[in-house]
Amino acid sequence: MTQRVIDVSALEEETADSRAVLWWGNLSMMAIEGAIFAMLIATYLYLRVVNLDWPPSTVPRPDLLWPSINLGILLLTFAPALILDRAALRDNAPLCRLALAACVVAGAAFLVIQFRVLANLGFKWSDHAYGSVVWTCVGYHMLHVLSATAETALLFVYALVRPILKKQRLDFRCTAVYWYFVILMWLPFYFIVFIEPHLTRKGY
Amino acid sequence: MTELIVEPPDFVRERALLEKTWGKNRGLLGWLSETGHKPIGLRYIVTAFCFFALGGIEAALMRLQLSRPNNHFLNPDLYNQLFTVHGSTMMFLFAVPVMLGMAIYFVPLMVGTRNVPFPKLNAYGYFVYLAGGLFLYVMFFLGAGPDAGWFSYVPLSGPAFDPGKRADTWAQMITFTEFSALIVAVEIVVCAFKQRAPGMSLNRIPLFVWSMIMVSFMIMFAMPAVMLDSTYLLFDRTFSMHFFNRAEGGDPIFYQHMFWFFGHPEVYIIFIPGLGFISSIVTAFTQRKIFGYVAMVSTLVITAFMGFSVWVHHMFATGIPQLGSSFFTAASLMIVIPTGVQIFCWTATLWSGRLRIATPLLYVFGFFVVFIVGGLTGVMLGSVPIDWQVHDTFFVVAHLHYVLIGGAVFPLFGALHFWFPKWTGRMYSEALGQLSFWFLLIGFNVTFFPMHLLGLYGMPRRVYTYDAGTGWSPMNALASMSAMLIALSILTMLMNFARYRQRGPLAGPNPWNADTLDWAVASPPPSYNFLHIPVVAGLHAVWDAAPDQAYVTGIRFDKREVLVTKTLDAEPDHKHELPGHSLAPFLLAVTTTIGLIGSIFFGWWFTVGMVLSGVVLIYWSWPRREEVREQLLAEEAR
Repeated sequence: MTQRVIDVSALEEETADSRAVLWWGNLSMMAIEGAIFAMLIATYLYLRVVNLDWPPSTVPRPDLLWPSINLGILLLTFAPALILDRAALRDNAPLCRLALAACVVAGAAFLVIQFRVLANLGFKWSDHAYGSVVWTCVGYHMLHVLSATAETALLFVYALVRPILKKQRLDFRCTAVYWYFVILMWLPFYFIVFIEPHLTRKGY
Repeated sequence: MTELIVEPPDFVRERALLEKTWGKNRGLLGWLSETGHKPIGLRYIVTAFCFFALGGIEAALMRLQLSRPNNHFLNPDLYNQLFTVHGSTMMFLFAVPVMLGMAIYFVPLMVGTRNVPFPKLNAYGYFVYLAGGLFLYVMFFLGAGPDAGWFSYVPLSGPAFDPGKRADTWAQMITFTEFSALIVAVEIVVCAFKQRAPGMSLNRIPLFVWSMIMVSFMIMFAMPAVMLDSTYLLFDRTFSMHFFNRAEGGDPIFYQHMFWFFGHPEVYIIFIPGLGFISSIVTAFTQRKIFGYVAMVSTLVITAFMGFSVWVHHMFATGIPQLGSSFFTAASLMIVIPTGVQIFCWTATLWSGRLRIATPLLYVFGFFVVFIVGGLTGVMLGSVPIDWQVHDTFFVVAHLHYVLIGGAVFPLFGALHFWFPKWTGRMYSEALGQLSFWFLLIGFNVTFFPMHLLGLYGMPRRVYTYDAGTGWSPMNALASMSAMLIALSILTMLMNFARYRQRGPLAGPNPWNADTLDWAVASPPPSYNFLHIPVVAGLHAVWDAAPDQAYVTGIRFDKREVLVTKTLDAEPDHKHELPGHSLAPFLLAVTTTIGLIGSIFFGWWFTVGMVLSGVVLIYWSWPRREEVREQLLAEEAR
């Protein structure tokens, strides 16, 4: 008896590009977290609409220097993330290690400065609803930078002690894409927390 | 790419090898480290039914309390906790997880693969759900059961009016359960889009799988809203934040917006899987192709989208602007259209098929009756004047039970009977099955229909007792008595299943001659699902298969290898090795639980949980030495 078959033994094992299931898992996670980011912004805008005095008159105009430097650091992180992405695709191990290290350094620097920025906001989360939403937004984004940095650090350590195979290259690329996401998500928060209070101030 | 081979007579050696690769480990550690989608799916279903039983007992206690006026069987405080825990249990610990369990069990089988794409994450999701449910009940038995209703509105649940840890328990239980729901959603979406058997192009995906895909997308965009909302509530309570404190610029109404932005899609998250069950049952019990497949899929998509645009109809009584009310009324009424299209498609299928009247189909008929009544009262509630009149009365209680029990529980019970032979390899008793159906249909209607009238007569929901002079006593007594019939129905069903699980007549792989791939494997399915990954020739994979239907070869039996296919037309793309059993998901669930439960007492426990979880995650993701060596050899060989 004969049987028709589709023989897939010659097909590639694993892949390091957008066809991989991990890639899709990563996209799904970013969709979920993107929804949370969007809802945080919606929270800010909703509270802004229902308050006549926004930001509250006790809140000083935000200092722009350090937040902007930090924004610059985060935007610059695009470079090592992109390099990591491309180097992983081309199987360039030394460049991968370098890019991983650069992402870790940039992420750590951002976190340190962000702590300083939070401390100098001039209000606390428990002062008013404005304080609550600003601290939550900034804190939530920092949590993302923290997890991206920790993950990149782990991959860096791994890349130093073990060979970089296809699975790791996929991990690197997903991490790089996650960095793009974390960087982009900061832009609206930076705008509403640091720029918007300078542009319009309800109640004045 | 298709070629001919001479088929070996049997595959004893191959089956043994697959069983060795995919089979389960023994003992407690084996149980804790299990990552197969079928054991995990069954765990979800069984656990959800345990919570269903607890929720049912709470309902029975409440009915007992309301059975006569001025009753003092329960005190008001306990009554408050009972209705809150009952609602939270049924929504978060029963309805959603049981549907997700069905998805986790059947989607990989129906699309023709061996496991979900992220098996360890899947196991983690189950443990997190279990921890959340146990947490709620431990707190309840310690006397700290939440008591502000299943939606826990502020300011009642806020720091000013609800001291202690009751509302925190509710809010953190949400975090646990939504975590697990989000994980299942990702599993289902990626599994259905990347791991379908060759030939199962988008227009050949079974309706069951489509319904689970749409539910998963709804979960991904609705659940974050309630997670964030309950987190704001925790922040207000634990860190003195002011999200909902009007005096400091917060807004209690915002809580309701966020809650119902999740809460209404939630209704569809519970009810759309029911549509999937019904399509499966109707197809099998009419032995004909489903009428209007394209219309069915597109109305599923439309329902899922529109589910997000009607949330304000839960808030008509909060004094929102007139224009907003009108918009949301229109949207709420419009959502009847896609549901109506589906009901007409099923009717057409039933009309023109050869009906086989058995328990699963009876439950489908029960669904039609009960759900349509619920839908009609839904249309009534969707219009502002009626809503204002009956808001917060038993009319709403009647409506929501008609929609949820009609839309979810009837199809679910039908599905349990339908797939019982698949799970156990045995047939249930048809007589007992039909008996339990009639008990439920009569018991349910006699219990809940009078509640419509009670609501119209002005009985508010969530009152622990009422005065004899109100005239509400006879109908309450009737409802309470008839609730026993519902309990009897469930007991009959459980008895049926318990008795025939091992003694029923053998079912064989496909007792109903159903059409989806889950029926192409043995009952119960082996740990690896398919000996060979199938190749699909049409929408109804089993019916459309040729006598010598092609299958896939070249997937290794000695590794946990699955075939990844292209998203649109499901052409073979590459092979992917899934991780095996692991203790890491359980450990991560433990550290997550430490962090989440600790943080409602002291915020810094969250940090402790995060650090511990970080350590476990390193263990989780660090590859074993022999794995790396093997991969290295494989890559060098190429």
